[in-house]
Amino acid sequence: MKFLLLQVSLLLFLLKTTNGEVLFSSLPRSLVVVASAMEGQVLKAGEDGITVSVGLNQTVTNQTNESFKKVKVKLCYAPVSQVDRKWRKTHDNLKTDRTCQYTIYDRPYDGKVEGFKWDIEKDVPTATYFVRSYVYNDANEEIAYGQTTNDKKSDNLFVIQGISGRHMSIDIASVCFSVFALLSLVGFFVIEKRQSKVKS
Amino acid sequence: MGEVASNPEKNDRKFALPVDSEHKATEFRLFSVATPHMRAFHLSWISFFACFVSTFAAPPLIPIIRDNLNLTATDIGNAGIAAVSGAVFARVAMGTACDLFGPRLASSSLILLTAPAVFLSAIANSPAAFLMVRFFTGFSLATFVSTQFWMSSMFSPTVVGTANGLSGGWGNLGGGATQLIMPLVFSLIHSSIGSTKFTAWRIAFFIPALFQTLSAYAIFFLGQDMPDGNYVRLEKSGEKHKDNFSQVFYHAITNYRGWILALTYGYCFGVELTIDNIIAQYFYDRFDVNLHTAGIIAASFGLANLFSRPGGGMLSDFVARRFGMRGRLWTLWVVQMVGGLLCLLLGKIGSLSGSVAVMLVFSVFVQAACGLTFGVVPFVSRRSLGVISGMTGGGGNVGAVLTQVIFFRGSRYSTEEGISLMGVMIMCCTLVIMLIYFPQWGGLFCGPRKGVTEEDYYLSEWSAAEKEQGFHKMSMKFSENSRRERGRKGAAAPVQSDPPTIV
Repeated sequence: MKFLLLQVSLLLFLLKTTNGEVLFSSLPRSLVVVASAMEGQVLKAGEDGITVSVGLNQTVTNQTNESFKKVKVKLCYAPVSQVDRKWRKTHDNLKTDRTCQYTIYDRPYDGKVEGFKWDIEKDVPTATYFVRSYVYNDANEEIAYGQTTNDKKSDNLFVIQGISGRHMSIDIASVCFSVFALLSLVGFFVIEKRQSKVKS
Repeated sequence: MGEVASNPEKNDRKFALPVDSEHKATEFRLFSVATPHMRAFHLSWISFFACFVSTFAAPPLIPIIRDNLNLTATDIGNAGIAAVSGAVFARVAMGTACDLFGPRLASSSLILLTAPAVFLSAIANSPAAFLMVRFFTGFSLATFVSTQFWMSSMFSPTVVGTANGLSGGWGNLGGGATQLIMPLVFSLIHSSIGSTKFTAWRIAFFIPALFQTLSAYAIFFLGQDMPDGNYVRLEKSGEKHKDNFSQVFYHAITNYRGWILALTYGYCFGVELTIDNIIAQYFYDRFDVNLHTAGIIAASFGLANLFSRPGGGMLSDFVARRFGMRGRLWTLWVVQMVGGLLCLLLGKIGSLSGSVAVMLVFSVFVQAACGLTFGVVPFVSRRSLGVISGMTGGGGNVGAVLTQVIFFRGSRYSTEEGISLMGVMIMCCTLVIMLIYFPQWGGLFCGPRKGVTEEDYYLSEWSAAEKEQGFHKMSMKFSENSRRERGRKGAAAPVQSDPPTIV
């Protein structure tokens, strides 16, 4: 498995100059993203919301925001929620990267994004997250990013509590059917016993 | 002393199919539902199919379930192992239950006992709960044993391989069908009823659960244990002796052939279960196909069971006509060896189309080997048929647990290395078939011992005292009916006349 990963990352390294494959490590951190979710805060899916704002990073000097055509804001998994979960793995190649699976905001670039409120959808799972924003050029490739956490992704993380998906009706139905199955079993034995008594 | 007193009323009874002296059908008519033989066939494969659907209902929905229950890859792997490990002992227990209570009661009871696990899957809320429901649901795979036992009770040696192969194969089909059924049911619930994803998968589980429960009812009310009736009645009338558990068990575990077949079955059926669990991921990771495509490829492996396992059973019966038991053993050995070779090859192929092609051929051979195994099992013991079937079936699951633990857990081997090594292990473990020897028929390399008859073999399972009480009647009939396993050459050889009467 390790060898396979080595091969894959070597391959990606070689593809760095191939067009169409955007690598995260090549993106400048040109954006500043602010989210209403505080460090360690627990939000509930289906109930709470997150307010995001995206602006330009003043400290990054050489950037041309003429090429910014579209902006997306995404909800991304923190490293602790990626442990032992290959389907959430971070890859440098953004085509195969699985870090950010939920899109909060997806509109054409229009200067800043001010206080956009997003209701956390019901299919967002329980995990630790941060918020990241990408801007895209005409070719729909990522050309810059920003995020609410540091480079190590260890700072300013928040938790979302997913819904259980259970409803009272499902709980009752499953218990009732289970009891019914077991009672049927008892019934079968009673019938068998009776048959053995009847047959002389 | 040698002749069994025949009950005149019984002989008048008409069966829809031609039968032998034990009233087992000598023909197999697939599109008939005639009582009791063909009805038993349809009841057994449908219920076994339902159990397979339930046991493998979770894998196609894992992408949703893992987010809902916050599962890690380890949790998922462990649940997969749990799903097949429960049946190891359940299969042996089921074999015993069949010998003692009859396949009708044994299988309908187990199916009803495990149905709650499927219903309660809908309310699982943690990795531990998920593991538990998969573990207990997996017990239902023990219905395999009752399926084989029931077929061996209803069908004569000439067609028993076919009956076993079809019922086993069409049941196994459930493992492939579920990869298509569950996602379909899920998306219907998600889009039509509008439930959220985390609710929709829960509701989806009610479908296999209800199907399973209904099949238990069908078996209980529509089925019967033997051509002449249910155990309960036959025991009352004295036609069937209610056997002693410890004796049945003893004669099974002391028969070395049962252990050998348990080992080899672990390397055809066990391998099949392992592949069911890992193949979608393999294609997804190695060849970058999307999850939907990977699911279809995974399903096609299981769906080959429609014809490959039955094909193995039919092949077993076919070679037996000319070469008897030796033919059955040779064919099993060759087919399983080739299966191992193809498995080795599968891990080495680097192209997608090549891999799919090899996988499909591999599926045919490995599933045919399963069918061929159960062409031999009915002859290992008559008294302890159930326990032997259970041991072999349980061995299949042990093989699944072993191969997953050794080759497909953690990061020691890449998946393709694991697959190739599994192929090597298949070939090594198949070699032990060389050690199987039936004194009355022979083995792979040796012919039968002169003067030994089928009666000598099957009646040795009963003590003199038991014989005096006439408990061995069924084994007598079976011995006669199994004479065909001598093959064409042996049939020409003089059959030893009735043993001198012992008074």
